[in-house]
Amino acid sequence: MHQWAAYSGWHVLCLPVAISCLFPLVWMISSSLKTQQTVFTDYSVLPAHPHFNNYLVAWTQGRFGIYFLNSLFYSAVVVVGIVSLSAITAYAFSRFSFRGSGFLYRVLLSTMLIPIPGSFVALYILLNSLHLIDTGSGGLLPRLGYVLPQINAGLPFGVFILKPFFDKIPKELEESAKVDGCGALGVFWHIMLPLARPALGVVALLTSLSAWNEFLLAYLVFSRHELMPLQRGLLAFHGTHLTDYPLLMAGMVISIVPIVVIYLVMQRNIIQGITAGALKG
Amino acid sequence: MTGLPVAHSKNGGGSRLNKFSIADLRLSIEKWLGPSIGNRQSAIGNTGVLAVVFFIISSGLSGCAPQSSEPTPLRVWHSLTDREGAFHQLASRYQKETGIAVRFELYAPTDIYEQKVRSAAQIDGLPEIYSVMSGEMRELASFIQAGHVLSLEETMSRNSDAWRSIFFPRALAVNTLRPGNPFNVPPGVYGVPLDVMNVQIFYNKKLLAALGVDPLKGPATWAEFIALGKSAKQQGLIGLVSGWAELWMIDCFASNYAIHLMGMDKVEATYQGEVLYTDSDWLKIFSLFAQLRDSGLLAEGIVSLGNKQAEQLFANERAVFAFNGTWGVNVYKGMNPDLDYGVMMPPPFIHSRPMVTWGGAGASFVVNAKAPRREEAVAFLQWLTAEPQQRQLTEATQNIPANRLAASGLPEKLAAFADDMDATVHPRLFSVQEGPTVIEAFDKGIQSILIGEATPEEIAQHLEQLKRREASLHIP
Repeated sequence: MHQWAAYSGWHVLCLPVAISCLFPLVWMISSSLKTQQTVFTDYSVLPAHPHFNNYLVAWTQGRFGIYFLNSLFYSAVVVVGIVSLSAITAYAFSRFSFRGSGFLYRVLLSTMLIPIPGSFVALYILLNSLHLIDTGSGGLLPRLGYVLPQINAGLPFGVFILKPFFDKIPKELEESAKVDGCGALGVFWHIMLPLARPALGVVALLTSLSAWNEFLLAYLVFSRHELMPLQRGLLAFHGTHLTDYPLLMAGMVISIVPIVVIYLVMQRNIIQGITAGALKG
Repeated sequence: MTGLPVAHSKNGGGSRLNKFSIADLRLSIEKWLGPSIGNRQSAIGNTGVLAVVFFIISSGLSGCAPQSSEPTPLRVWHSLTDREGAFHQLASRYQKETGIAVRFELYAPTDIYEQKVRSAAQIDGLPEIYSVMSGEMRELASFIQAGHVLSLEETMSRNSDAWRSIFFPRALAVNTLRPGNPFNVPPGVYGVPLDVMNVQIFYNKKLLAALGVDPLKGPATWAEFIALGKSAKQQGLIGLVSGWAELWMIDCFASNYAIHLMGMDKVEATYQGEVLYTDSDWLKIFSLFAQLRDSGLLAEGIVSLGNKQAEQLFANERAVFAFNGTWGVNVYKGMNPDLDYGVMMPPPFIHSRPMVTWGGAGASFVVNAKAPRREEAVAFLQWLTAEPQQRQLTEATQNIPANRLAASGLPEKLAAFADDMDATVHPRLFSVQEGPTVIEAFDKGIQSILIGEATPEEIAQHLEQLKRREASLHIP
């Protein structure tokens, strides 16, 4: 009885938190079904006359088709890039002791303090000198110019999450693998990576979130809309003075679907990763 | 596909791509990593291999898109994303008529756009046509001095000022540097206005009538205006809303009354340091805000009110007045098509003096002086500002065109704004500019008065001290 009461009490405490998290989502979905007039006057959660057509209009008017594919591509490349590079870097920092490794690790982490918008001008000059800025022709180089800085910016975070995880893996496992004939890369691939799956899941999810929502760098690098990511589509409804809220909300609902799906698919790994201390740093 | 690792098929057939399987690729990667451990299931699942393949193939494919055979377009940069459709239609028409392709590349929000323009300017990477968003002339002047802006003076003057004469004079004036300007920039026209705007007071006719005021006229003087605060409060209505969390809108309101009360010369003399902010006229300006605060006319928490929220309150018929720009016509139409409102100039403080309002060019374009195709860019802007194109833009965007000829026959509410274009003022029109630190302190000082944090006298003294400190820093 006492346990049941504690359990219920805990859930009652959690309920307002859950509601406050869910309410913006519910409001967004509700607003996406209203008109530009009713969105300011009808405060009901379920509108009397829902306009599902808003989703179709948002998709076509916001050119979501091309933007959606672009975002899928960019996010996939950025996630693969960050997860693979940060895993191998974190492994190196965790298992190899070399002169200045501690200093190098701190320098790497300190780059997390520099946000991409803070280095816009320098980044623009660098990307331009590498011919990675969109000048209106070719697709590969500007795309590369977009994903490389994101991978670069996400790397310290990935290392920050993964290194403590690798630190905790017993060295005996590594030594056994070596006895069985594994090289350093073999140990990394066969032993370390499978054991670090929960932490890799956390890095993958958080990275995919930031890559999916990114648009500032896209503005800097791209000039053609056909290369832009999904977030650019949302701005079609958000002008300097005029904002089409129902279409903006419909667009936002469309844009969060992949992230929600990723979260649901990777939910187990994420919870494992968090409970195993991946986010303790 | 040359970047793929060479995989040997099980039958030793080498790199036969048509028979290349995921299992082959996995085998080759495992060989590369070293021997597998006992009978342990391979760590590389098919999913992992597919991810690697996806990465490589998609990277490759993205570079394999067929190169376009279309002519290289003239590029136009701006932040007006809400006019994207109209711009694309006009670009298509221009290409049909002249064979010259034009591509509008729109970036919002404005601060990101500004960063892109500044970054591109540093590497001479600006497009043929772009805009310098800052409201201050010093920003435009710095671009001119760096050689990024083409002077349009000669083109404007051709054929007895044929191009110049089509514009509202104020719209062109904000893009013009006068002789003897403080930036030492050669005088002339440097920008082409696309549309014009000004900021006035919208009033809800029904609510105003409920307050006992003739809805066809509105309050005629400042005294009548602030007297409405009490009755509005009694009826549970909000008096005046405006986005005064945004400093520039406060600056608009204050500038209007400063020029109305003192005239342009005295305001400029203050910027030059010849008149003090503690002067009695400036104290009157600051006191207007104290009066507004005490009258009860202002919306509660107005200094934290964004303009979008203020627009919502007015559109929902909760506020009697809204201090807002021309764009409000379009915004209110979208939010509440049945809203019945009028537009009036800010009520004068002294009836005998002319009232002015903040305004000028809404959006302007400049031509990149370093662009090889700058002449084509100028020709496009001439076409874009001609009457038919300006009418098309007005119809699509509900803005007042910069071309005066296209402004005839505007809808009633827009026409009210267009009629007052000659009474507009803009910071760019001043022959001297106030320093940005003082401007910020001025606007924030007014916010302090509005929330009762400081008195007009305190703000005036603070500004004067700041002004002296700024001046001392500039003495060599």
